[in-house]
Amino acid sequence: MDSNANATELAYGVTYQKKRDWSLLSFKFIFLLPALAFLLIFMYYPIEETFRLSLMRATGLGDTVFIGFENYVRLFKNDEFLTGFVNVLEWAFWSVVIQIPLSFFVAFTLTTYKNRLVGPLRSIYYLANVLPSAITAMLGRFVFAPRYGVLATLSEKFNWEWLARIDFLGDTNIVFWSIFAVATWAYTGFGIVYLMANIEQIPMELREAAELDGANKWQYARYIAIPMVSYPIRILAIISTVGSLKLFDLPWLLTSGGPGFSTTTLVIALYKQGFVNWQYGRASAIGVIIFLLALIFAVAQFSMQGKESSAK
Amino acid sequence: MNGAIEENMVPRYRNKIPEYMITLILIMLALLVILPIMLPICFVFKTQLEFAYSPWSFPEKILWTNFIVAWDNIQIGKGLLNTLYVCLGAILCTVPASAMAGYIFARYKGKYTEILFYAILAGYFVPVQMVLIPLYQLCNRLYLTNTLPGLFLPMAAFGIPFWTTIYRSFFYSLPGELAEAARIDGAGHYGTFFRIMLPLAKPCSILATLLVFIGSWSDYLLSLIMLNDQQLFTMQLRIAQFMNAYGTNHMPKYAAASLIAAAPTLILYLMFQRWIIQGTLAGALKG
Repeated sequence: MDSNANATELAYGVTYQKKRDWSLLSFKFIFLLPALAFLLIFMYYPIEETFRLSLMRATGLGDTVFIGFENYVRLFKNDEFLTGFVNVLEWAFWSVVIQIPLSFFVAFTLTTYKNRLVGPLRSIYYLANVLPSAITAMLGRFVFAPRYGVLATLSEKFNWEWLARIDFLGDTNIVFWSIFAVATWAYTGFGIVYLMANIEQIPMELREAAELDGANKWQYARYIAIPMVSYPIRILAIISTVGSLKLFDLPWLLTSGGPGFSTTTLVIALYKQGFVNWQYGRASAIGVIIFLLALIFAVAQFSMQGKESSAK
Repeated sequence: MNGAIEENMVPRYRNKIPEYMITLILIMLALLVILPIMLPICFVFKTQLEFAYSPWSFPEKILWTNFIVAWDNIQIGKGLLNTLYVCLGAILCTVPASAMAGYIFARYKGKYTEILFYAILAGYFVPVQMVLIPLYQLCNRLYLTNTLPGLFLPMAAFGIPFWTTIYRSFFYSLPGELAEAARIDGAGHYGTFFRIMLPLAKPCSILATLLVFIGSWSDYLLSLIMLNDQQLFTMQLRIAQFMNAYGTNHMPKYAAASLIAAAPTLILYLMFQRWIIQGTLAGALKG
């Protein structure tokens, strides 16, 4: 009797399945359609077009003509693009070298020296991260503007000649660092919060064992905390590198990539080629280069994640 | 015996840098973050002349004129409405589409859905900056340039991959018996989703709404390429325009503008900071 009931149940299940098959299919289709439509129209089609246009002479006016790799060849003779490329690499290098150790220092000390300030300090560090970039840029100009900026007026008040002489947004040797400082101010909060979440996950026993063995805080950081969070640190390095590939808002709003090409980036070069010079083809070639570089890092991230999850 | 006790005590005394020094450094870093945000308050109540002669003194009297000038000249009211419209559009396009797709990917796994999932996931790694030119041309052909939907439709496309994965892992974590029970009670596929699953995913939906709002509120690049008409300018474009229209000797007006424009995000952050931080982390931790 028991098996009989099972059989009818099973049979019912099967007919249920068969009868509902079309409705199930349409259900899946209807539910997936909006997401897929958005991606096809506004992402995949433009990606394909970027690749196609990068091989064309396209100016917005007149015909588009196939010219092979000429756009790329020309780009590698173009000062603005090359400077932007170098700037982006430098930016990525310095954000890894400066911002990540800074975030680790803050995250580590904040989590290991547990006190009442942890909560509020964490919120404050992350605060600048939620400001829109236009506001961040405005605050940056507030601080660095010549003559009326905070640094300029302060140096006047205290008679700091050396500080008054620095032109933070106009000197080609310094402007990169002024914008980098603004970006560090704005974005380090993310690294801090991210690393804090990871350091907090280190099992308490490890720390107690280290203390029993006589390790001080710095030895604990060096031999336990850093190896334990080496994976998130690498992820963070990839995130900031990809971030510098996409860098546009802050340098554009603060200096428009100038003076000269001193703060230009890949995206600024793309924007200018596309929307100022109307060189759609060449701008798309820059887009393809950004895409390929971002792809390399995405693959690196994925393979790291694969290793990490197989290790666990 | 004595030795053992001493050995146990050693670690506590070995810290070379005392704790209060570290705390001091941490507090100073926090001040470094917060002071630039507070600075505008020092200047905003001064006239331009007062600012030029004594920028760091106490304001002679509290003046609200700078706020009025900033409000009028950058037409923040209009910018605010435009931005709100964009945010709302982005939320309505991103959140339901992601929830539905994420649900299918979590609960109806099959060969084809898996392939489609990776096709959507791949979009997470595509930077919008690379497709600016074709995106602009496409929107031009669809009569979307110089309109606000031209902003939020692409925004949605570039937000959907992330939120689909978030919804997917959320629905995946729900026990399967729930759907089973719903079906035994006679609910169809749609009923199960709308009456059982979607209400359960409320935390996910609130998070998505909040972060999509902040994201589209902050957008600058897309607005810059899509909008020409002053009447349609979003807040961020207005701020940028304002910044270029006045020389830096107009700091008090800058201050007023940045205070007005920063207030909404700051208030939102203060109210929902735990959510916001957790949501941003969810992306990075999942990767």
